[in-house]
Amino acid sequence: MAPLKSLEKEYPIIDSNFQSFCASHAIFSVEDFLLHDLDALIAFADNNRTCSHTLKQGIDQLLSIIDSQQPPLLNGLQLLEDANLNKHILPTGFEGIDALLGGGLYEGQLTELVGPSSSGKTQACLLSASTVAKQKSSVIYLDTSNSFSPQHIAHLVGLSSGYVFDKQDDHRPLQEVMDRIICYSVFDLYQMFDVLHQLKINLKSQIFQSDRHVRLLIIDSISSLITPILGGNGPQGHAMMISAGILLKELAHEHNLAVLVTNHVVGGEGGTSKPALGESWKSVPHVRLLLSHDCGSNVCNISILKHPSMASGRAASCIMCSFDEQCR
Amino acid sequence: MTKREEEVGSWIRGDETAAEMLSRVSTLRPFSLPPPLHRVPLRVGNVLEIVGPSPSAKTHLLIQAAITCILPKHYGGFDHLSLFIDLDSRFDITRFSQILINRIRTLQGEADHDNNTLFNSCMSRFLYVRCSNSLQFLQTLKTLDQRLKKEKEVHGVGVHLLMIDSIGAFHWVDRGSMFLSLRENNRKKLFLQSVSEAVVQDIKKLLQVHPILVIATKSVIYGYRYSTATTEVKGSFMKDNWEDRCARNATRSHHHFQHREYMPSVWQSFVTHRIVLRLSDDHPVTSNSHCSSFYLLEWLLPRLSFKEKIIVNDAGVFVDS
Repeated sequence: MAPLKSLEKEYPIIDSNFQSFCASHAIFSVEDFLLHDLDALIAFADNNRTCSHTLKQGIDQLLSIIDSQQPPLLNGLQLLEDANLNKHILPTGFEGIDALLGGGLYEGQLTELVGPSSSGKTQACLLSASTVAKQKSSVIYLDTSNSFSPQHIAHLVGLSSGYVFDKQDDHRPLQEVMDRIICYSVFDLYQMFDVLHQLKINLKSQIFQSDRHVRLLIIDSISSLITPILGGNGPQGHAMMISAGILLKELAHEHNLAVLVTNHVVGGEGGTSKPALGESWKSVPHVRLLLSHDCGSNVCNISILKHPSMASGRAASCIMCSFDEQCR
Repeated sequence: MTKREEEVGSWIRGDETAAEMLSRVSTLRPFSLPPPLHRVPLRVGNVLEIVGPSPSAKTHLLIQAAITCILPKHYGGFDHLSLFIDLDSRFDITRFSQILINRIRTLQGEADHDNNTLFNSCMSRFLYVRCSNSLQFLQTLKTLDQRLKKEKEVHGVGVHLLMIDSIGAFHWVDRGSMFLSLRENNRKKLFLQSVSEAVVQDIKKLLQVHPILVIATKSVIYGYRYSTATTEVKGSFMKDNWEDRCARNATRSHHHFQHREYMPSVWQSFVTHRIVLRLSDDHPVTSNSHCSSFYLLEWLLPRLSFKEKIIVNDAGVFVDS
């Protein structure tokens, strides 16, 4: 938030006289102004005999500055129009998820996959990345545990589109698809913030080419970044977790990205397992899906833990082939 | 303010017409919100807080109330504007329009071709703003008075319902930042505290000028504890004992859950009505139960002795009879 002093150049009404009036009420910045009781401030300005008029003009000026910084009130029709025009559904290529969510991941929403290890979370991420990249869109992939496998992606791309890899001469389509998946290795939350802020700047300045429009952001897994900073008595860990959630949702909404994150499970009361990251994180994602994988079979069960319009508990299952099996 | 004084003066003189009286009384009359919020009559100026874990259909209750507010009078609505302040950034407009369409269909019948104009006029009466931190929220509140007046001029009717989803969204972020601001300079008290005070103050001022009912959701961020075990037990050597007691209490007073309050006291005392929602464990196994969720709704303020079971399905929120 701007200190009042910095506003003086652009708005001459906020002069040194007004600033000293505000300083006498412990207001030094716009932030302090927001936290202050305005009626009381106006009353004080009224009592000031010499210049009550200019002081009140200054307060009005500050209010109009605040108003101009605010996004306008939108009505339902405008919101619906934005949703219909800009918020598309991205098929993941993962039958179970697509069937359950009515087509795939929603742009503008944060979708979380929860599950124990080897339940198919990374599989789903890789498959979504390759499916979206094939549709002439870019994917940003934040890999936190070295589980990103380009071979696997190449295989998935080849598998579903029938590209033949044995021929040496035709690598270009695959090359293009692989080019559209941008992977970052990220090992702590600070690095993640760096990458996301840079992404935000890039998206704002629209440096991506038209066939490189970023539509999917994947973080596999977000819990491995957040878990180390939680705990202890201080609120800082939780504050950073919630800030990460807010940033992800802001990116998703403003730049029409679908955001896919993964989370692991921890033991809860009574021997049951529950998603990690606790109660506060629960209210962050739009959609939560629980993945589970029966031992010894290749059937993957998916159930909805949370969805803005669907009942929790809805489930689907699909056959998920492991990489090894597909290679055979 | 002078206009209101004039109104009061004319009322004392007793030369108010019946039509004037009706319009005055109808804005102050208690609302009858649709079930499941129908048990306690609410008035403008009231602040209803809906507490529950995520997910527990909190936002659905807001959507339901908003739709009642924007529907015309002859469809059982209030024929006014409603404003949704989204602090969680999770509002889904397609879900909202879906429920509105369902509501219009059940009220009007499928065949009517006038559905579309009614739908459009209702949607345009639903106002929305999203904030991604506490200061933006304060900015919104500080400038809301002027904006609501402008909207009133455009639509001819004012905002009757202000929804905040959810009030504790920035709790952790604000708690985290208070230490920073304390370290930098000692001129402010705790940031979290001052934000809440400013929020309550701004809403109070708004309520003085506009006849508005406030409904705020609050998600549970600490997990449920049992109300009978209120003593804080710290240290691992006591842990077994603590779990023991929990287990015993769980069987004895299974339904006495309590959520841990985290909002500052200035907000708590501002709230006039409170509802708590939680997941319902026992739901009937019917053929279509796979596409609906079940929750329990309980009035805490004023305390009502019974609980209501509510169902959320594709068409909206209903009371399970």
